[in-house]
Amino acid sequence: MTHAIDTQSNVKTGNATSMNLVQAINDALKLEMRRDPRVVVLGEDVGKVGGVFRVTQGLWDEFGDDRVIDTPLSEGGIIGTAIGMALYGMVPVPEIQFADFIFPAYDQIVSELAKMRWRSGGEYTAKMVIRTPVGGGIRGGLYHSQSPESLFIHVAGLKVVCPSNPHDAKGLLLASIRDPDPVLFFEPKRIYRAAKGDVPEGDYTVPIGKAAVVREGNHVTLLAWGAMLYEAIAAADEARKQGIEAEIVDLRTLWPVDVDTIVASVKKTGRVVVVHEAPRTCGFGAELVAIVNEKAFDHLEAPPARVCGFDTPFPYALEMDYLPLAHRILPAIVQTAKY
Amino acid sequence: MPASNPEPAPISALRDDGSVDSAHAGALSGELAVALFEHMVLARAFDERLVALQREGVVSQHASAIGEEAAIVGAAAAMHDEDWVFPSSREFAAALWRGMPLAAYAHHVVGSRRDVGHGRNAPDPPFWKAARVVSVSPLSGSHVPHAVGVAWAARTQKHDVAALLYFGEGATSSGEFHTGLNFAGVLGAPVVAFCRNDGRALSTSASQQTASASFAVKAVAYGLRGVRVDGSDVVAVFGVVRDARARAAAGQGATLVEAVIPGVEAADPVAKLRRHLVAQGLWDAERDQRLAGEVHVDVERAILEATAAGPPPPETMTSDVFAASEREGETAT
Repeated sequence: MTHAIDTQSNVKTGNATSMNLVQAINDALKLEMRRDPRVVVLGEDVGKVGGVFRVTQGLWDEFGDDRVIDTPLSEGGIIGTAIGMALYGMVPVPEIQFADFIFPAYDQIVSELAKMRWRSGGEYTAKMVIRTPVGGGIRGGLYHSQSPESLFIHVAGLKVVCPSNPHDAKGLLLASIRDPDPVLFFEPKRIYRAAKGDVPEGDYTVPIGKAAVVREGNHVTLLAWGAMLYEAIAAADEARKQGIEAEIVDLRTLWPVDVDTIVASVKKTGRVVVVHEAPRTCGFGAELVAIVNEKAFDHLEAPPARVCGFDTPFPYALEMDYLPLAHRILPAIVQTAKY
Repeated sequence: MPASNPEPAPISALRDDGSVDSAHAGALSGELAVALFEHMVLARAFDERLVALQREGVVSQHASAIGEEAAIVGAAAAMHDEDWVFPSSREFAAALWRGMPLAAYAHHVVGSRRDVGHGRNAPDPPFWKAARVVSVSPLSGSHVPHAVGVAWAARTQKHDVAALLYFGEGATSSGEFHTGLNFAGVLGAPVVAFCRNDGRALSTSASQQTASASFAVKAVAYGLRGVRVDGSDVVAVFGVVRDARARAAAGQGATLVEAVIPGVEAADPVAKLRRHLVAQGLWDAERDQRLAGEVHVDVERAILEATAAGPPPPETMTSDVFAASEREGETAT
C-alpha cells in the first residue's frame, strides 16, 4: 500500500506537509471548526479519545464539550439529533464509528435527512457531513468491513464522497462541509495510515462531483475509488508489462458521479473495467456500466467488466480472497483489452 | 437531573360545574381562555370537514383530532413564540394556533399548486417555517431526536428556545423515542415531550403498546420528569406545559408529559371549556352563533381556495432534491 499517486487538482502554491489520510482529515476538521463556529463534531468516542481511529484527536481539547460531543451509543440518535442541530443552523459532522454501524441510522438518513429539503419545498434543510470509515482489509470481519455506498447513492438527496489520498481527503472534506446538501463521507480505513502524501497547509477545496484521471492510457479505462484505487494501479502496472496501457479514473465523488470524465475516457479507450469492494449485484459498478452503455455504447469494443466483492457477507479469515485485489483485476484488464 | 415519580392520576383543573380547582385558579387569563376556546371550535369544525372530505376523496387521508383539541391547542399556547414545534399526525390545530394560515393548511391537505411543500406530502403533519412548525415525516417517533437536536443547539448558543414535541402513545414503542429521550436526558436539552395518550394508534390499545404502568413513567429511565395530565382539560394542559417549558428553560431538563385523552364521548374538551367560560360570564349562546358562522365561512373559504388552485406543475417533482437539483439531476442521469 505504498503507491504514492499525484492527483492533479487545484493545489495552491505554498507550503505542504506530508500527512496520512487520518492526519489530513483531522487537519480539515480543525481548519473548518476554527473558521466556522457552526461546525460541530459528534459521535461515539469522538471526544476525549479522538475516535477509535484517532481522526478527531485533539478537537475536544481545542473546542470543548459543546462542539465535540461524545454521544450515547446509538447511531440513530446521533444522526437524528444532528438533523435537529442542522435544522437550527449548526453544521454537524457526525462520525459513525464504522460504516457497518450506519444501519441503525439508515431510517434517519434515508427517510429524514435525504428528504428534508424536498418534502419541505426547500423551507427546511439539514445539511451535514456523515464521516465513516469504510471497507475491508483490516481483519475486521463482516461487521467492520463493509462498503455500503450504493445503498445511499440509490436514495435521492444524498451526496456520496470517497477520497483515496490525503490531499483529496482534506480538500473534499472542506468542500463537503461547505456544500448545501447532506454528504456521506466514506473514509477508506485500510489506507488510513498507509496512504501518504503532501497536503497543502491552509484552506483549499477539491470540488465535489469531479473525478481525477490519475493515469492516462489508451487501451482500457479502469474506474475505481478509495482503497481499491491502489489495487487498480498495481494491476495496471502489471498490465503495462504486457503492453496494455490502462487509463485509471479515481471517481473521488460517487454521487453526483462525474459522468463527463467517465464517458470521455471510455470513448477514448472503448473498454471499461470497474473495481469495487461491495458485492457485485446492484453495486455501484452496475450503475457505472449502465451509464457507459447509455452514453458511450457506440464506442465500446468489449463488454464492460466488473471486479467486485462477492455476493456474500464480508468474511473475516478469507478477506483477502473476498477483496478485488490486483491479481483479480489484472485478468479482467487483459481479457477486456484483448476482447 | 432528579427523577420524580409521575403522578398516579392525571392532573386536572376544570371541574364538571365549570369551576376551576383552586390550585389552578388564575393560570389562564379570561382573554386567553376565550381565544383558546375559539380556536378549539375552529379546529373541531375544520376536523369534521376533513373527515367528510376524506370520505369524498378530496383528501387522501385524515387523522382526526376530535376530542384532542384541548391537549393540542393547550400545549401549543403554553410555549413561547420563539420555541420550535414538532407536530405529529393530529396537530394541525397547533400549527394554526402558531400562525399557519387556514388556507395554507387547506393547500397542504389537498396537495395544491399553492402548497408550500408543492403537494409532495400526503396530509399531516403540516409545517410552517415562519411559526417554527417543523417538517416532520409520518413515521411515528422519527422526529423525537430532531426536537432534541434543535433544543440542544439552541441551548449551546444560549438562546431562550425550547422545543415542543408532540407524538401519540404509539410512538413510545419506537426506537427513536427511546434514543431521543435518552439523548435529551444526557445532553440536558430543553424539550417538552408531549405524548397524546388517546389509545388511537390505529387498532392497537395502550396495553398492547406497553406493560408500563403509564407512559409518563418511562421518563424515569431517562432521568427526566414525567407528568400525567387530563388531556381534555385545557387549563390543566396549559399549566403543565407552561411549567415544563419553564423548567426546561431554567436548565432543569426535559419533561415527558402524558396527556390522557378520554375520548370525545367521555369528555368533550370543547364542551368542558365552554362550561367554564359560561360560568365565568365570558361566553353565551349568542357568541356561539356568531363564532359558528365565522368559522364556517373561514373553513369553507380556505377549502374552496385550495380545491380551486389545481395540482402543482410537473417540474416541481425534480426541484429541491439537492440545492441545485435540476443541474445535478440532468448530469447524473
